[in-house]
Amino acid sequence: MISQVFILSSKGDHLIYKDFRGEADKDAVSVFFEMVTALSGDQPPVVMSHKDLNFIHVRQGGLYWVASTKTNASPFTVIEFLNRLAALTKDYCGSLCEKSVRMNFALIYELLDEMVDYGYIQTTSTDILKNFIQTEAVTSKPFSLFDLSNVGLFGAETQQSKVAPSTAATRPIMSHRSEQGGKNEIFVDVVERLSVVIGSNGVLMKADVEGEIRVKCYLPTCSEMRIGLNEEFSIGRSQLRGYGTAVRVDECSFHQAVKLDEFDTYRILKVCPSQGEQTLMQYQLSDELPCAPPFRLFPTVEKDYGSRYTDCDLPHTQKSSTALNVSVTVPVPKGSLSLSQELSSPDQTAELQLKNKAILWSIPRFPGGAQLSALFKVEVPSLSSASLLEVGPVSMSFELPKQTCTGLQIRFLRLSPTQPGMSQRWVRYVTHSDSYTIRI
Amino acid sequence: MSANSLAYSEQSGAEAAVELGQETTPTSSAGGAAFGLFSTDFKKNEDLKEMLESTKESLKLEAMKRVVGLIARGKNASELFPAVVKNVASKNIELKKLVYVYLVRYAEEQQDLALLSISTFQRALKDPNQLIRASALRVLSSIRVPIIVPIMMLAIKEAATDLSPYVRKTAAHAIQKLYSLDPDQKEHLVEVIEKLLKDKSTLVAGSVVMAFEEVCPERIDLIHKNYRKLCNLLMDVEEWGQVVIINMLTRYARTQFVSPWRQDGVFEENSEKAFYDSDEEKKEGAAQTKPYVMDPDHRLLLRNTKPLLQSRNTAVVMSVAQLYWHLAPKHEVSVVTKSLVRLLRSHREVQYVVLQNIATMSIQRKGMFEPFMKSFYVRSTDATHIKTLKLEILTNLANEANISTILREFQTYVKSQDKAFAAATIQAIGRCATNISEITDACLNGLVLLLSNRDETVVAESVVVIKKLLQTQPSQHSDIIKHMAKLRVPVPMARASILWLIGEYCEHVPRIAPDVLRKMAKTFTSEEDIVKLQTVNLAAKLYLTNSKQTKLLTQYILNLGKYDQNYDIRDRTRFIRQLIVPNEKSGALSKYARRILLAPKPAPVLQSAFKDRDRFQLGTLSHTLNSKATGYLELSDWPDVAPDQSVRNVEVVEAVRINTRSDCYYKKRLCSHSYLVFCSRSDEGQKNGRLEKSGSGSGSASASSEESSSAESSSESGSDSDSGTDQKRNTKPKPIKKVRDVIHVVHCFCLSRLFPVQVSSPVFVPVRPHELLHRMTGKGLAAQYHFPRQPCIYGDHMVSVQLTFNNHGDHALEDIHISEKTSTGQSIHCFRPIGESGSAAVLGRTCSKTERFSVSIQPAVGELLLPVTMTEQDFSREQGKLVGMNESSATITMAPETVSSQPVSKKVVSVANVGVVPSGQDNVHRFAAKLVSSGTLVLVCVVQKDSSAQLTVNTERTVVGSMLLRELQTALSSAP
Repeated sequence: MISQVFILSSKGDHLIYKDFRGEADKDAVSVFFEMVTALSGDQPPVVMSHKDLNFIHVRQGGLYWVASTKTNASPFTVIEFLNRLAALTKDYCGSLCEKSVRMNFALIYELLDEMVDYGYIQTTSTDILKNFIQTEAVTSKPFSLFDLSNVGLFGAETQQSKVAPSTAATRPIMSHRSEQGGKNEIFVDVVERLSVVIGSNGVLMKADVEGEIRVKCYLPTCSEMRIGLNEEFSIGRSQLRGYGTAVRVDECSFHQAVKLDEFDTYRILKVCPSQGEQTLMQYQLSDELPCAPPFRLFPTVEKDYGSRYTDCDLPHTQKSSTALNVSVTVPVPKGSLSLSQELSSPDQTAELQLKNKAILWSIPRFPGGAQLSALFKVEVPSLSSASLLEVGPVSMSFELPKQTCTGLQIRFLRLSPTQPGMSQRWVRYVTHSDSYTIRI
Repeated sequence: MSANSLAYSEQSGAEAAVELGQETTPTSSAGGAAFGLFSTDFKKNEDLKEMLESTKESLKLEAMKRVVGLIARGKNASELFPAVVKNVASKNIELKKLVYVYLVRYAEEQQDLALLSISTFQRALKDPNQLIRASALRVLSSIRVPIIVPIMMLAIKEAATDLSPYVRKTAAHAIQKLYSLDPDQKEHLVEVIEKLLKDKSTLVAGSVVMAFEEVCPERIDLIHKNYRKLCNLLMDVEEWGQVVIINMLTRYARTQFVSPWRQDGVFEENSEKAFYDSDEEKKEGAAQTKPYVMDPDHRLLLRNTKPLLQSRNTAVVMSVAQLYWHLAPKHEVSVVTKSLVRLLRSHREVQYVVLQNIATMSIQRKGMFEPFMKSFYVRSTDATHIKTLKLEILTNLANEANISTILREFQTYVKSQDKAFAAATIQAIGRCATNISEITDACLNGLVLLLSNRDETVVAESVVVIKKLLQTQPSQHSDIIKHMAKLRVPVPMARASILWLIGEYCEHVPRIAPDVLRKMAKTFTSEEDIVKLQTVNLAAKLYLTNSKQTKLLTQYILNLGKYDQNYDIRDRTRFIRQLIVPNEKSGALSKYARRILLAPKPAPVLQSAFKDRDRFQLGTLSHTLNSKATGYLELSDWPDVAPDQSVRNVEVVEAVRINTRSDCYYKKRLCSHSYLVFCSRSDEGQKNGRLEKSGSGSGSASASSEESSSAESSSESGSDSDSGTDQKRNTKPKPIKKVRDVIHVVHCFCLSRLFPVQVSSPVFVPVRPHELLHRMTGKGLAAQYHFPRQPCIYGDHMVSVQLTFNNHGDHALEDIHISEKTSTGQSIHCFRPIGESGSAAVLGRTCSKTERFSVSIQPAVGELLLPVTMTEQDFSREQGKLVGMNESSATITMAPETVSSQPVSKKVVSVANVGVVPSGQDNVHRFAAKLVSSGTLVLVCVVQKDSSAQLTVNTERTVVGSMLLRELQTALSSAP
């Protein structure tokens, strides 16, 4: 039973405030913000309490989505609800940011009103809510370069290849009367997150891939969509299909709307997508990578008088694709003073972050099959052999567009009945690093 | 004087405006600028008021949006109340909804004005559209004005018996609102809850359990009869309802079933009864040796919740997990493990709460999570609190077999940049070392290595942990103590630990200890309090063991302590001095000083912080907070003896009993009852034979009587809740007290199984009542019926018929009654002379004679359908299969005004309950439906050509096809 729901900007401005049960004080909002900001660290605990009022919050789109409750509600329910609320807001308003929330307060207020009745959650399904919601979304029309920086996943590819218009994926699903060209578009994204631990001897110690197929649909009347995956796609260890190299995952779960009658034989997912964003399929693969991990690191550490060298060779094993926004964090001993570096190209940068005790080496573009090396010289006064013990693992983050680690591909994407005229279908792939650690 | 008062009123007006001004521009301060603010702000609100009072919808809408904007930001807009409330009856739905939002927010403050709107809602409660009825009830119940409590009560009671499940669901939600407004209504509300709990609709189930949990969670007896139904419905309830129901059933099960944990390992289900029987003689028949047999209802709950572990909603998954944790036999709990681990890949907020729950679970049952140990490895991107939780779990999971892997993992964690995490890792190593004695030495050595770390938090933490470890076996480790004595750690806690260690084991390091004391004496004044206390302790202990070397030092320290600023230290000093330094006043105690100070101390037990969390139910807020939240309901212990199981048995719903005191007694002769026969659980083969009959629905009654007789025996025998669907019948045994009262009765006729096509919701069409009994024939009693086109609440196989009775006579009628065995056609007797159906006549005691009327319901063939969604492609494919005999078509001339004024689809839909198939062409209309009885597809296609149209009906049931064609033909060609 939720007492209040409020949305705060990162600076603590009240964007939306709704009281459902009238049992909590109005100043709860400011109390909450004080509690959040008073805590050090960037991630305050999810559940906090003040007197007998409990706050549960999530952060999405740079905003605080907070629910307060006085009773013994299940925290899962509340968290799930807040996440759904954020997702719905994104669906209805186009994008999730302070600006869009500010502009659509009436819409969000109406949404909240339909979703929650006296603190009890009624429904969060887009399809049902569509019948009740009357207010129209206001979108920020003008396209600007600033948008490019925060389009995130759906805009990831557009920066280099001008295929999809970057604002296309961030518009509201509901546009009854408004023109918007009524563009019939559908986006299918295959997103994989990679978490890898490579031991100091170069052995792959742990590798997990979590992937999902996401659909963002703008089609007003799409009765059925068929997505064909690789035919050699197999689930579990025992089942192998075809003669080629199998595309294998350990576990697979589907959205409840997906019909699987053709999945067993043809690997076809059938779904009637409702408007908005959905995750159709989630899968994961653990302890095994069908391909070599995309990056390896060959570090050498030397001691020389009062200073220390770290030499990093970083070959990129995936030939086909270019990695973007690669950054490597190399820890340095405590008390390091200065850094001098030799990098192989001018667009790379490296800086010593004394606060984190690490060197941040960033590579904006890393072509496939290439090998980069860098030499860092760190001055550490009073270096002892014990200091070498303090050098923790190197971590990396990167983005690999047009690439999936499991090898999952979408063979085709068919809509039926065939949409008259200009329906556009986009299929995109991206692999992110979730946690990529190389131990030294 | 008058001037004064005028000035005063202006003043107050300005003050009010200042308040408003602050709301809109919080930075500007009041004072001199007040008047300026006053004027602009006054204008602004005036402006909104004007807009609201204008005649243009768009202006009103714009104004309302701005008003809602004010509310959304938490600002005050209450003074606009009169202007807003006028718009409550607006026709524009968008505007209306915004007004509702406003009303709910401010009604409590402006009660008198709010009452103006009540009549609008009362009117809307009678609206034929279910959505409007529901939203009216929702807003009405949200208006927190005590005066309208009786109106709300009435509205809730009425809505609870509404035909539409959506309205009933809203009624359930309104219950707790009314309860919080006026707790005195509890008794009545519980009645409504009781009624709604019996509802079979999945929409209602979740909402009514929410109401139950808030209003009367202690009335567990209300659940008994509905327990099995709730378990069976659970899969289809919407997700938020599932969470609430599962939690409620967890509590219920803990009071009703005996513990499945009593004897671990031995587990027997009903199937092993035979085995038990043969064994019985040997066991001397003692009750407690009887093997545990799980109650079938307990098993039902576990079985039906298990598939929900796959839910997309984390809250559902967690509630099932806690249900298994609290209810399932020990060896079955592990089915939830995988799902919980899956939740770890969710949002970080979910991760945090899930990890907390896993931490609690992993203390009690290591085995559950051990195979998934790798999932709890810390990632570099995790937040600190998530890392610490994972560490906690890894520590809980550690055993002899996997400790080496875990320790290797810990080694890398210690190097983490996140110092709080590194410190927590060291603590964890300490816990592993105490729990598993084999590795204590290895851990100690590792920790000693860490002492040379350059980071003081790491060193300090290591010292503290080493101290705890050494306490378990001090004798072998004097070299470690020596090593530590040489350390200079700046962290006070660590220094204090070292001093305590040296003091405690000063006999092992006789040469170093006095030297340490000497050094401490030098820096005593600048130390932290905790270090000072330990220094005093060390001095005292050394004085007792080695007074020759340390006597002076001790006295020096005691003197320093005597004048310390901290009273704890002064107290301690005074106490120690009295205890150890012999003087004439010292009593008997100083003799025992050695035994007091150097008593062997028990080693501390390093245990998890989650040790005591299991007193709370998993997955609750209280568990997360580790303190009792308001409204936390304690999970009761298992009962020793199971309460009576039979309370959950549901009797067969009794047949309709609407009795009429004034001796009316109905007999329904159902011409269309041929479809009644389908209520039986007949197999597919038989069904086909009967379907022909449903086509000729309006045919004679007698034709079908032979058919139904075969069915009756089987349905009579079905008596438990599972087979209960067959006997559905509606029932409202409520006597009519007043003359001119109206009751609605829903009749559901059982039809055969559903065809696996996705059924869509019917298009709303105006109600068309048909006469069942004229008031002249019925001696004052009139009856009408219509087909509400709602999916039947009693079963998928039935068509709902709504009966409306009107008493036009001048005496009260009671016990209006539809002959028991009639409506589902279980029995053919009803259709024969009355004498045989007998039972009803007995009920009207005062009557001299009973009246009975034969009536007939003649459904149009269009009402026997259920709309179906399909794609255009599917449609043409299905149509392709149904050609030749199965196709009937006709060309019709459409009235000219029909072509333009009213879409064809509307007309077709008003005649037949069909679903519209999306079509690519403008002049082709396609509709799909299936027969409720058999699930046979019925496809209708209208191709418009100027003023004529080609009408095609395809179905396997040719009779149905031709009848439908005829009806559509008349509807389409007639003028609107």
